[in-house]
Order: sequence, then C-alpha cells, then structure tokens
Amino acid sequence: MDFTFSSEHVALRRMIREFAETEVAPLAAEIDREGRVPFETLKKLGEIGLLGVCFPQKYGGMGAGETGYCILMEELARVCTSTSTNVGAHIGIGAMSIYLDGTEEQKQKYLVPLARGEKFAAFVLTEADAGSDAAAIRTRAVREGDSWIIDGTKTFNTNGSFADIVTVLAVTDPTLGARGGITAFIVESNMPGFKVGTHENKMGIRGSSTAELIFDGVRVSHENVLGKVGEGFVSFMKTLDLGRLTLGAAGLGGAQAALDWSIRWAKTRKQFGQELAHKQSVQWMIANMAMEIEALRSLVYRVAWMVDTGQPFTQLAAMVKLYGSEVGSRAIDTALQIHGGLGYSRDFPIERGFRDARISEIFEGTNEIQRIVIASNIFRQHGVRIRP
Amino acid sequence: MDASYLDLLMAQQEEVTEAAGGGGGIWVVADVVNGTVAPVTLEAIGAARTLADSLGAYVYGVLLGEGVTDLAQTLYQAGADGVRVADHSSLAQFALEPYLKVLSDLIEAEQPEVVIFGATAQGQGLAPRLAQHTGGGLIEHVTAVSLDEATRTVQGAFPIYGGEYFEIAACPEARPQFLTIEPGAFSAPFIDSYRKGEPTPLEVEPAEPAVRVLGPAEDFEPSPVPLVQAPVIVAAGRQAGDFEMVKRLALALGGQVAGDRGARDAGWIGPEQIVDVRGVTVAPEVYVAVGIRGDTFHNAAIEEAKFIVAIHPDPDAPIFEIADLCLEADPAEVLPALLEALA
Amino acid sequence: MRVIVILGRVLDPSGIVVKGKAGRIFVNREEYVLQPADRCALEAALRIKDAALAGLRPSQDVEVVALPRGPLPDDDVLRQALATGADRAVYLVGQVANLPYTDDAAAVRVLAAAVERLGGADLILAGATTMDTGQGQLGPRLAEALGWPQVVGAWHVAAADGRVQAVCQSSPLLVGEEGGGTSYVTVEADLPAVVTVLPGVLKLRYPDGARLINVYRGVGEVAEGLEQWDVADLVDMESLKPLLERRGQDFPPERERGVRIDGTPEEMARVVADALRQHVGR
Repeated sequence: MDFTFSSEHVALRRMIREFAETEVAPLAAEIDREGRVPFETLKKLGEIGLLGVCFPQKYGGMGAGETGYCILMEELARVCTSTSTNVGAHIGIGAMSIYLDGTEEQKQKYLVPLARGEKFAAFVLTEADAGSDAAAIRTRAVREGDSWIIDGTKTFNTNGSFADIVTVLAVTDPTLGARGGITAFIVESNMPGFKVGTHENKMGIRGSSTAELIFDGVRVSHENVLGKVGEGFVSFMKTLDLGRLTLGAAGLGGAQAALDWSIRWAKTRKQFGQELAHKQSVQWMIANMAMEIEALRSLVYRVAWMVDTGQPFTQLAAMVKLYGSEVGSRAIDTALQIHGGLGYSRDFPIERGFRDARISEIFEGTNEIQRIVIASNIFRQHGVRIRP
Repeated sequence: MDASYLDLLMAQQEEVTEAAGGGGGIWVVADVVNGTVAPVTLEAIGAARTLADSLGAYVYGVLLGEGVTDLAQTLYQAGADGVRVADHSSLAQFALEPYLKVLSDLIEAEQPEVVIFGATAQGQGLAPRLAQHTGGGLIEHVTAVSLDEATRTVQGAFPIYGGEYFEIAACPEARPQFLTIEPGAFSAPFIDSYRKGEPTPLEVEPAEPAVRVLGPAEDFEPSPVPLVQAPVIVAAGRQAGDFEMVKRLALALGGQVAGDRGARDAGWIGPEQIVDVRGVTVAPEVYVAVGIRGDTFHNAAIEEAKFIVAIHPDPDAPIFEIADLCLEADPAEVLPALLEALA
Repeated sequence: MRVIVILGRVLDPSGIVVKGKAGRIFVNREEYVLQPADRCALEAALRIKDAALAGLRPSQDVEVVALPRGPLPDDDVLRQALATGADRAVYLVGQVANLPYTDDAAAVRVLAAAVERLGGADLILAGATTMDTGQGQLGPRLAEALGWPQVVGAWHVAAADGRVQAVCQSSPLLVGEEGGGTSYVTVEADLPAVVTVLPGVLKLRYPDGARLINVYRGVGEVAEGLEQWDVADLVDMESLKPLLERRGQDFPPERERGVRIDGTPEEMARVVADALRQHVGR
C-alpha cells in the first residue's frame, strides 16, 4: 500500500496552492460581500487548464483524474468556498455529465470548450417540488419531429445564470417515472426560450450564483439528447455520485482552513496571562479537529484513487460527502468558538466560513439522502432491497 | 610651538612613500559618484587597512574615470599607501569592458592578495568577471570580515535569506581573493587630512563597451507583481496624504504599492493589494507603512517582513510597536524629503 | 534563437525558523521552491518566446532550454521549467562536492561545458541573486567564461534581431546623472549575451496544467524535452573543487523594533534613505 501522492499530483497541488493564495484568497471577502461571481478568477483557472482538471487531454482537459480534481477542490475551498462551488458545479456535474454519457460528437462539441475553460457549464435538475425527490420533476420535453421542446422551471441552480452549456433533466414520458420516463438534454443558454429568473439571496457561498432557470419552449435537436431517451435519471444519478466525492474534498479544504485559523489564533490570543494554546479545552478542540481532518483526508483520496483505478465507489462517495460536510461544519463551528467574539464579527473570515459550510450538508443530495444511499448499498450487498 | 609649525610637522610626516613594487597587498577599487569618492570606497579602505595591518601588507587604491586624479588624495587620507589612477576619457562613465581591461592588466602586474569592491552596480559587474578571469575566489555582499592569519585568508560574512542570518565563507587557496562589501556595513575610516601622496598613473588602452546605454527608459514602470512575491512593498493608510507620493516612493524603491483597509475604502488600491490577515499576508524584505495606524489585522499580516519603516503622525499608533524605524511625522512632510534623499 | 535559463532551487524560507539567540536554524518544513530570481529569469525567457510566436518580431523560432544552477538531487526544478513552457531541460547528474552549497566557480565550469555541448546559445538568463547564498556572481562569471557581454540586474528583457535590450535601474555611475530621482535606463548588447534578472520584477505565469501532468508522468512531447547528462562527460571531475569554503554562520543581533527617528523631515529622511538602501540592496 503506497499512500504517497504521485509526483504529478504533488506538483499540481503546489501550483494550485500558489494560485489559490495569490489569485483567489485576496478576493474571497469581497465577492462574498458583493455577492458576485469572480469571473476574473474563473478565466485565469481556465487559461491554465484547471477547469478541465479531470478530463482526458484528448478532450481538452488536463488528465489529472479524480485525484487531481479533489486536490483542486480542496485547495480552492481552503481559501474560498464560493470559488470552489463555482468550479465544482462547472467541472464536477456540468461538464462531467457530458463526459460520462455524451457521444463522441457531443464530447467534441461541448466537452472540449468546457474543459478548456472557454465556456461554462451547469447541471440543471432541482425544481420547486423536486429537491431530494428528484424523480418528481415536472419539466416536460415533448418530441416534435427531429427536435424536442422543453418547458419548465428549475430552481436553486448553480452557475445556470452565466453558463453557456447546461445539461437538464426533463420528463419525456409521464407514465413511466424515473425508469424510462426521464431524459437528459444538452441545452445551450443562447437558445431562444432559455431565461434566467430570480437569483437566490443566500446565507453563504454568496460568491456563487444560484438562480431560477426558465425553459420556455426551448427547442433542441434530437442530437442533444444526452445518453439514451428515458435513461436520463439514471445517468444524472451517476453524475451526482461522482460529484459527491469532490464535495467532500471541498469540505476537507474548508476544515483545513478552519484548523489553520484556529491554530494561528491559539498561538496569538492571550487570556489569563497565557496564549490559548496552553488551555486544555482549546487543545482538545484542536486535536479533535485535526483528527477528523486526517480521517477525512484519507477517505477522500482513497476514494479518488478508487475512481481513478475504475473500482466501484458509489457507497464510499456518499460517505465522503456525508463525512466531509459534517467535518467541515464541525470544524468551522469549533473555530468560531475558539475565536470567540472576533469569530462572530463580519470583519473576520470565520463567520463567512461558517455561513459557507452550512450548505454542504444540504446540496448535492442532503446528508439524509446520503445515509439512505449508504444504507441501501449495505443492505443490497446483504440481499435486502430497501423500499424507499 | 604655534599651530602653523605643528601643521608643517604633521604634513611632513604624512607624505606617503610607497614601498618598492613587490606585489601583493590589499587593493580597493574605488567607486566615483558625481565627481567624488563614494562612501563605500572609504569604508572599503578602512576594512582593507585592518586586514593589511594584520597581514603586514599595504593598502592600494585604484581610481578609474576621467578627471579623477585629484581624488587620489581622498584615498590617501582614508589610509591608502598607494594609489593607481586610470584617468582617461574612455573611462568617464562606468562600462564593463574598458574598466575590466585596466583592472585585469593591473592585477596581472601587481598580483594583489585581496581586491575589494563596493557592492554597487560597478562592483557587482566587475568583481565576478575579474574573479573568473584571474581564477580568484569571490565573496559578495560582505558585511563583516575576519582574518585567518595562518593561511592569509579573509573570512567574509554575508546575509542570506534576506538577512535572517549570515553565512561565513573564505577562499583558502585561490588568489586573488575578491570581495564586494555592502555600503554602510563597515565604518568609515578616520580621515587624516594631512596625509597625502603621489598617485601612479596607469596606461589606458581604450576598449569598446559591449553594452550600450540607449537612454532613460521613459515609459517604463515595474509590472504589478502579486504582493506575496514582492521583495519591497510601500503601503498607504488613511493618513498617507497624497497617494501619488506613495506611488513615487514605490517606484523609487522598485517596490509594489499596497495599503490597508482604509486605502481600499479611499479607492486607492484594489482588493488584491490590501495588506491584512483577511486579505493578503506578506513577507517582503522591506515594508514601508505610510500613514497606516496599524491595527491587529494589518500588523499580523506583516509579521514576517524583514524590515519595517513606519510613518504616522500619532505617537501612539500601534504600528510603532512592530516597525524597525519609526517616524512620528506627517507623511506629507517626510515623503518629499525621503524621495529627495533617495535620489 | 536559443535562450538558456539557469534555474536553482532553495529551501522555502517560510519553513525555516532562525533563532538568533540560540544560534540555531530550525527547518520545520523541508520543501524546496525555485529561486525567485530564477523564476523571473524563466518568465523573461518565456516572454521572449511569446513575443516571437506572436509575430511581433520577424519569425524566429525561440527555443528555451533550462539548465541547473548547481548540483540537484532530483530533476523537479527542470520539470517545473518544462511545465511552465520551456522546450528543453537538461538534468546534470554527477557528484559535486559541497551539496547544497554550490561554489559558483565550479558550477560555471560545468555550465560553460554544457552550453558548448548544446551547440551554443544566443542568450543566457539567470537570476541576479540567490536567496540561500546571497551571491549574484554566477551570471557574470559565466559571461566571462564564455567571453560574452553581460547585463546585471534587469527589470525587463527583450531580445530579437541579434540584440538584447534590458531595462535596469539607473545609477549615476551609469548615465552620469546628478540625482533627479531613481529612474530606469535601457541598455542594449549584441547577442550572444548573459543577462541576470532581479527577483519580484515580473508577474510569474503558472505552469500549463496538461504539460505539468505530462512532464511529471513522463509522457508526451513535453517529457521528451527532459534530458539527462553526466557531468563527468562534460568536465574533469577533479577540476570541480570549489574555490570557496563554508566557515560557519553568524546571527544578526536581536531585531530592535520601535527605534524612533527624530529631527527635521530632511534629517529623518536621510536616516531612512540610508537604511532603505541597505535593505533594498538590489
């Protein structure tokens, strides 16, 4: 068992860390305060190929695999969770859905510019009445000769407001439900009928865009069906499975940042004549944080390795997302406690980290869903099919 | 005895006569700036004197330029036993090849033990090339010397990692030993105004400089570099006054402009230029805080700076607790004078 | 046009703690980075290549070749150079005494021979100073060994049409000015020449992601640019004995903070200017 990172991943991390500290960190507070997406950062990431980090080089990507992608998410989230969210939605679910299910033509046409950072992607699933219950979507796609007409409203969509290419799930046969009745489509945002609705006013990750998307008679060619007609739900779930892993990596980055801040504060802050580092209660908090981060780190990169070596990962990916989001939340909560009143101040980054971390237990499949996924997998291995 | 007789006595005693040839010696190559001998040259002669006294050797100065012959007396007054002068129109401005020619011929003829330069543009250009040409060893940016008398080797200490600590090196065998010394690191020697001597003129064969000075780079401005990579940072705070002056100071020092939150609010700088633990944490060699009061967030972000200068009118400004040099003054008054002094 | 860049590595200073009082240096984190000045030299070389490619100059194929500044235990620095855009990099292997302290005189012997084996070059760029040796003599020594003109301490470099132009900080020595503020001066030399570049003067580019992955995996065109030569094939190893010897360390006195400067603005300015000149020391 070799637990070391390969030299290309070490070099990749070094480069991303420098990028994160030089280009991303200085903007973090400002984009949160102003609620804007840092397009200048996304452009720079695209220029050096990071927006295609996990895709093969023949599709314009970097070829660094899931491990490389987890490193990217970790290092970005360490300085700015909003940025890692923008990137994650683009790579991990947006472009990824085309990579996993697209035809060769679709990959050349859509994946290549996405991997090169020339265009942005979004993954469009959630609706007002279909959150965890993803199969309850009502957006309709009706066949008309060689095209499909898509009508419906999607909510809580990340990147949708500025993406060029979106992959969207719509009902093609209302009688069939999730198995056979739902299809995925690739839609270009400049197609007539595609509109951006209201923007969400979020608690955290305010440097990312979450918006309502309206499909008003959007006509797409049959060539834009992603995967097979009727198999959209299954393919989207596959994409979400993979996306979970990198969300765990982002949680790891956030937790690491919380730990770094806490250590720094414990070294500096003096009360009762001693730095906080000498107080046992603080020591225990730091020790627990560090332990959970180590455990999470091992889990994240082990699962990344499993993905990269073609092993089954669904159950473990769900564990990574679940554990990563909880570790991240616990870490920043502890960091807030350690920083005391200063942590509560909006002038200090801890409260931003706190607001940013909370969503990770909710989006990309709530932690409750993750637990169901894990338990279903476990019981199925023991011959029991869980009835939802 | 009246004073004038005393003067006469002193003057007669201080006429320096050079020992006949013989080679060896501690040589100092002079920097001439604006028609005078640069302070670093005098410091070098002082250092050379100390070495020479222990080694039982002589100190020689070398002057290159045009119309510099009279400057030889300054070198004698600082303690040189002998001075060679290369006074020629082709040496009026420092240029590598003409100066190299004179010096390499001289070194070949005189076989010095040690040759000292100031760590100036001239010294940094000449010393390595001469060392390479003669097969000698070179230690640059020396701030202190000691002598290994047994092997007649000079040990030089020089700063590394931006002055975090000093390495000591020596060149035990190769000769000559070359050194470039940091201006201001050695103390100025006693100037004996009665000491004088007769410099030896050198034959100068004009050589063509290989590098042509085209002229001032009028529009050149150093490119904006991320603060974390900048060795020199000049930062402005609310009390900085005229921000243009701050920019000019940065230009003069070859540094990057930054500021605290106040400067950002004033619209002087962008978000990536805010020096603050919540913004950018920096570790430059030099940090000049102009009109920055210095709250915890700012001061924590410059903890690792090697050298901090702070200018602020309020004597209780927290920045003064961490700055190396503190100026309790209005930046509007100090900056113009500072720019003048740096020129 | 062949542009050679000399690259060295240094211990990341943020991983080092110096306790002057105890006279000890603690290396908390042993990580190596490219010498900052050498990174600027590489950036300058790549900008020359970009300018040629952009057709801003009559088409001239610019080949950027990276050579090591001294003995390296691995080729990481060279792979970084290739990932960032260099065309070739040569890893020189062989035993040289006093690793990691490189005597520049010995390094120059090796480099001069390497340049010859490459078939010469038009321009050599190197960092003007190295963090861990505090010396800037490698570039000029190499220039002397090759018999080429040198420019020391450049802020900006451009090369084409058989000439190199650099911007340096002017000094009265150079242009005979009588003060008037620090300014910059453009100098020019015919190629071939050696130019040393200051640290922190150019915004550094990031490596290209795909090139990075490929060069570390050893695949693709970029990995083919990495060569390995034996120093023993270039020079007689016996002759590589360094001229300089390390004789120990010294620690500066405890940093004195809060030193107040008094006087008129002119007097204060003079003290500060002297101190700044010493510390900025480029």
